[in-house]
Amino acid sequence: MTNSVRSRTGTDTAGERSRPGPPHRTPTPSGRTGGPGGHRSRTWSSAGAFAVFVLPTLTLFTAMVLAPILWTLYTGMTDERATRPETSFVALDNYGFLLGDEEFRHSMWNTVVITVIVVLLTNLLGLAIALLLRRQGRLYSLLRGVFFTPVILSAVVVSVIGRSILADDGLLNSTLVSMGVASPPGWLTDPSYAIYSVSGIMVWQMLGFAVVVYLAGLAGIPAELEEAASLDGAGPWQQFRAITWPMLASALTINTVMLMISTFKVYDQIAVLTNGGPGTNGTATVAFEVIRTAFSEQRPGLASAMAGIMLVVVAAASVTTLKLLQRREVDL
Amino acid sequence: MGKRTNGVATATALGLVALAGCAVGGGDEGGDGSGGEVTLSLLTFETPNLTAEYWDDIIARTNAEVPGVKIKKLVAPSAEQRNEYVRQLDSTGALPDIMVAIDPAGLAEAGKLTEFSEKELADWVSPTANSFDGEIYQLPTNSQTWQVYYRKADFEKAGISTPPKRWDDLLAAVDKLKAAGITPFVIGGGAPDGLGPRWTFAQLMADEVYAKDPKWLDKLVAGKTDFSDPLFVNAVTKMEALANKDNVDNLSATYAQAQDDFLAGKGAMYPMGSWFPAAPDKAQQKQIGVFPMPTQDGSLVLPVYTGGGLSVSDRAADVARAKKWAIEFSKLNADGGARYDGLFVALKGYKPPAGLPPLYNATLDVYDEAQSSGTVTPSFGNEAGIPALPSGFISKADAALNDLLNGRADPDQFVTTLNEELEELSQ
Repeated sequence: MTNSVRSRTGTDTAGERSRPGPPHRTPTPSGRTGGPGGHRSRTWSSAGAFAVFVLPTLTLFTAMVLAPILWTLYTGMTDERATRPETSFVALDNYGFLLGDEEFRHSMWNTVVITVIVVLLTNLLGLAIALLLRRQGRLYSLLRGVFFTPVILSAVVVSVIGRSILADDGLLNSTLVSMGVASPPGWLTDPSYAIYSVSGIMVWQMLGFAVVVYLAGLAGIPAELEEAASLDGAGPWQQFRAITWPMLASALTINTVMLMISTFKVYDQIAVLTNGGPGTNGTATVAFEVIRTAFSEQRPGLASAMAGIMLVVVAAASVTTLKLLQRREVDL
Repeated sequence: MGKRTNGVATATALGLVALAGCAVGGGDEGGDGSGGEVTLSLLTFETPNLTAEYWDDIIARTNAEVPGVKIKKLVAPSAEQRNEYVRQLDSTGALPDIMVAIDPAGLAEAGKLTEFSEKELADWVSPTANSFDGEIYQLPTNSQTWQVYYRKADFEKAGISTPPKRWDDLLAAVDKLKAAGITPFVIGGGAPDGLGPRWTFAQLMADEVYAKDPKWLDKLVAGKTDFSDPLFVNAVTKMEALANKDNVDNLSATYAQAQDDFLAGKGAMYPMGSWFPAAPDKAQQKQIGVFPMPTQDGSLVLPVYTGGGLSVSDRAADVARAKKWAIEFSKLNADGGARYDGLFVALKGYKPPAGLPPLYNATLDVYDEAQSSGTVTPSFGNEAGIPALPSGFISKADAALNDLLNGRADPDQFVTTLNEELEELSQ
């Protein structure tokens, strides 16, 4: 936490103490005024440090991340199909096709809807639960564990549980029927509900993560700040607005960006809960379409172009969100 | 914190898309070498009939007959998703050495499967089934048929004395069942196993399309007709009339759930494949009967698929032994396949063992009758070899069927969707 919180009197309170000053230069024997031998020695030392600390990571990053991305972008400019031996370079044809393709646009829309729901609801509920679980005690520790459990479960397991609850004859509808509801909704089979049901399952799974991040943020708020505010006569809501919420700015940034990225790549839940349905205009997301196009339809060229578009969208959304949230941190 | 977060988030985003981009790739590893003992991977799938114990047993028995082979069993996420799964494995360079009942389309043309020779296929009844320009990439081990299973007590209660033969009789039976407060059909159709509607539709396609024009698929693939063909539209119209949500118990049930639901008496009729007779217990065998899907004029038309056996990767650790193991497995599995999966074994001179379930024998009678005095047609969605529907098409057809049955699309929209999908996937 590097941001400061300005009190009503205009003095910096938290940040003033923790903000690091400019780096303090420590004079070295072979400083800037040293001779040519010292300079060479420093250069070799830097090169050695680069080789030891940076090169392995850079190599790994290039091999595991950069090269696949570049290869994916290249493949997206071909008409590669697994069933056809010859492949041609088609430049941006795949991208042009996808931008005009209703099915792909629908999957993009689904991805955006799910992302917005998951980011907003998970943040809101995560914060509320973190505030409730902030206290010390065995019960609260237990509850924190309970809320975190879905995070460590596989998405497939969570989805299977979700399916048993939300299926037409699942737990939820059986309960509704027993309460006298004649025709309960098809939570996973009616396109009007399915996307919200999938989003709900994802919120449930990711809630624990948001709670933990907010709890960590809450733990970093100095108790004396809240005590001082209380002595000044601030009520709980005023304390939340003036101290807690501003000091959770970095937690909000982390939660929002991580949730956004996790949700953008959602595949498992869709595959298990709806398999992209119900019907043709169902819940397929971009990641689901990438997998389906690549493996089921055996069109890696087109699927790679989808992944390329996804890269641009995710990167743009992440950077924009970060900038907006960081501006809030700085402007406090 | 801001810049650091920014960097981490950007790297994460790049990593994310790199993962999404893992669609691209390929490889050629198969097993573990060429020593005295070889480990071969075997891709299976589990269904209510084909349990983990079933596979383990037949694998152990085959291993005993083919010394020097050790099998590493892989299980597809679901029966329906096995074809997608095998292609995912292929793209990551991990195509299994031996695969059970996968659709060879695409893999065969790409040279990733090994062909079986005439000599290796000599023991089977239909050695040229599912040919790719004369090459066979899947052992034609069994035949499967599709028909309608029904609960005798429900028919009796609704006043239906004999199973319907004509289309109009079937519609009348549906009305009688509904009047008696009985749900006419259990079909299923929910993700991830939306197979039920496809298998119902295949039965209607048999009479309306393939019986009238056996070369219809050839014409479709060659672009000489499309799904607006009146023959196909007739089948779609019948499907909508028969299996709409008012007539079906639960269109969101998976394949396994639908089978349980039918056995539990949640619907009177269950359009299903010939493997179903392996599922009912002794008491249920007596309560359930079978009849072929009624046709317009009452003649017997039955969709049949022969194939469904094992395929072997062209890059298996030891192709010769993998083929030997696959052939041995198919022969040893004959009785088990008949007993536990209701398969009609397509080995020459094969006699099913005694004591098979009565429903198996009743279904086999329907098949025998169709072969001797009726019409046997291909089964829509199960075509393999050349010609065949393009990869990925049938899952799109499943989704479109879901819309049709749930009233979100009419036959015209269904036809339009299929034409668009076929055009896109055939490009």
